[in-house]
Amino acid sequence: MTEFAAFKKMKELLTNYYIEAKTTQEKPIAWITSGAPVEFLYAMDILPIYPENYAAMCAANHQSVELIEAAEAEGFSQDICAYARTDFGADITQGGPAAGLPPPHFLLCSTNICKTVIKWYEVIARKYDVPLFIVDTPFLHDGLTQELIDYTISQFKDLENFLSDFTGKPFDQERFFEVLYLSREAANYWQKMLYLGKNIPSPFNSLDSFIHLGPIVTLRGTKECVDYYKLLYDEVAERAEKKLASVPGETHRVLWDNLPVWFKMRRLEKFFEEHKTTLVVTTYANSWGGYGNFNLDQTDDIYESVARSYLNVYINIGFEDRIKYLAQLIDEFSLTGFIMHSNRSCKPYSIGMYRLQEELSKLTGKPGVVIEADQNDPRAYSDAQVETRLEAFIESMESISLN
Amino acid sequence: MFEPFHEVVTNVSKTILEHEKKTDRPVIGVMPAYFPMELIWAAGGYPVQLWGNNLPLEKSDAYLQAYCCSIARSVLELEMRGIAKMVKGYAFTSLCDTLINLREIYRRLFSKPTLELSIPITKTVEARRTYLRSVVQNVTDGLEAITGQKITPDALKETSQLFGHVRALQRNLYQIRREKPGLIKNHDFYTVIKAGFFLPAAVYAQMLEKLLGNLDTLEAPNGKRPRLVLSGMVFDPLEIYQLMDEFGADVVDDDFANGWRTVSKKDFQVGNLSEGVTAYLFHPAPCCCIYNPDNDRHAYLLNKVKESGADGVLFWYMKFCEPDAFDRPQLMKRLKDENIATAFVDLELSVANFDAVKTRISAFCEILEG
Repeated sequence: MTEFAAFKKMKELLTNYYIEAKTTQEKPIAWITSGAPVEFLYAMDILPIYPENYAAMCAANHQSVELIEAAEAEGFSQDICAYARTDFGADITQGGPAAGLPPPHFLLCSTNICKTVIKWYEVIARKYDVPLFIVDTPFLHDGLTQELIDYTISQFKDLENFLSDFTGKPFDQERFFEVLYLSREAANYWQKMLYLGKNIPSPFNSLDSFIHLGPIVTLRGTKECVDYYKLLYDEVAERAEKKLASVPGETHRVLWDNLPVWFKMRRLEKFFEEHKTTLVVTTYANSWGGYGNFNLDQTDDIYESVARSYLNVYINIGFEDRIKYLAQLIDEFSLTGFIMHSNRSCKPYSIGMYRLQEELSKLTGKPGVVIEADQNDPRAYSDAQVETRLEAFIESMESISLN
Repeated sequence: MFEPFHEVVTNVSKTILEHEKKTDRPVIGVMPAYFPMELIWAAGGYPVQLWGNNLPLEKSDAYLQAYCCSIARSVLELEMRGIAKMVKGYAFTSLCDTLINLREIYRRLFSKPTLELSIPITKTVEARRTYLRSVVQNVTDGLEAITGQKITPDALKETSQLFGHVRALQRNLYQIRREKPGLIKNHDFYTVIKAGFFLPAAVYAQMLEKLLGNLDTLEAPNGKRPRLVLSGMVFDPLEIYQLMDEFGADVVDDDFANGWRTVSKKDFQVGNLSEGVTAYLFHPAPCCCIYNPDNDRHAYLLNKVKESGADGVLFWYMKFCEPDAFDRPQLMKRLKDENIATAFVDLELSVANFDAVKTRISAFCEILEG
């Protein structure tokens, strides 16, 4: 990874976050999906815990296989999302880097990242006998409509009532607005940092952004999160100013679509370095530039701006809009190609990918490749297969540049 | 007496083409699950339910990965091979991530119109009601655009009665199966239910009435064989029921999305369409794909076993169906805690060799027989 001084600060933040999670006696704990509107929880002083983040940490620490196998031993099929299996296993064995997650008092999930989370959280709700609140954000086949916005806002209001009933105190709207602004500020810094990838050479790569996602996922809505991303932004901006390349001799500039392969970060980093290829931008990391990045200029109604942000998520939009967005990234970041990770664990991100690849290549004239892998289950990954396809892809970019 | 139903199921394209001509209605392909057929018929369409098939996957593999369920893959195969030429449009529901994205693939690959009944899964009642109003409006507009015919209150009322009658007849068949295990062979039973996917409702109702009349006076065979409840999304492949008939096991009830979960639905309420759709989607049987904590699957399945007098529950798992896969371990544990025997089989629609499945089911039945 590119060496950033901010990395130390991030480790400290995440360590403190997990220490608080494991030790708090005062704060209620809610398990929450990565794309759920966390701002409502912070407004009521509830500590959000992200099972997805924990599953990714387990895989990045090469601990996912044993946890996945523990879940499978309890009957969970290999067909289900490997994040879910990792977390089920961590819950069964109290395993992983934080020795399991603290038990939840309730669950909050949003369908903007997938419908799988409903099933995942139903299992947890049943196991712990705790309430599950779902914010349903239907798929935007044909863009954002007022009906979808109203539907989502209505659920936000109900969420406020739920939280008020749960905590026994009125919903703190003033605090809620403060949290929204903190989220927005952090998301802004994150997005501005990611857009520094437009510089040639890129001052960071997407493997860095996957690593530095931690705070924007887990601490979005806090002052610490804002401070961290300001720090990171300043550091990356300085690198950009000095034209410091993340990958020395950068020759190819590529987009990565879908989640990372958490357990192969180092190997892939080395592979791309050797091939002078920078992963410049990723749809996945970009998503957190959208969550919380409430565009208050669009509407006077803050709830509407929150609804818009949480509905308009890359994997919750139709293919027409996805293609336009990808083509825009390819253009704005001066990319030479794109990699699509067909991720066995994430169907909504992956189904249709082969068609998207065809259309995007045709539209942009840039080569693309689909690799078959998995975000968290090393047993569903082949180094040889993936690297052979990536090598062929890099050769195709080389032949285009030679021509 | 089951021959006409077998005829339909073994000649699906011929059946559809024949009735398309007779009814002079555009064929609408209906994807899994719970899309109210009443809306399609009332709009002047001819709904045909697509629950997958056993075609070898030659073309759909280019667009759907191997980790997608064989239902989605085989349905796409139909359109890609040109076998579904008679289908003029497709009706989807937002049942799962695969189907939601499959609709997008259809929109990119084909020019046929598609529409989606987006299922709201919030517990916020007012939000659900308001949202469904707009969803239903889009669905009816979409159907009317395909058929060129307006949905009138009279047509809806008539259609609701017709389809309600069909399901009531199917429920009678289920009741006979529960009360007289073994009278209807497993293979015949599911062939009868499957025939309904492809026939116009009135034609199917007539066939069912005749069948029920014939079954009325017959008695169950002597002797008790293992009695099973099956649970899963789809009851295919039908070949397995032939094997079960051979080695001796009686399915006495099921919890299939294209079986009892749909058959149990009461008459579609037409007074207020969005309320009618809500009732239709969420009641009476729970489904792994539709979040509804007020209708608990555990209690429901326990009750089903008790009422049907089953000896055990066999989970009929269609590979890569995540909603079903997530529910299964806790459901199996709950049943086990209640001393109900359980087992599961992994299935794909394109399976050619059923030896492993046969061994597994017969072993389970032997356990049930003690």
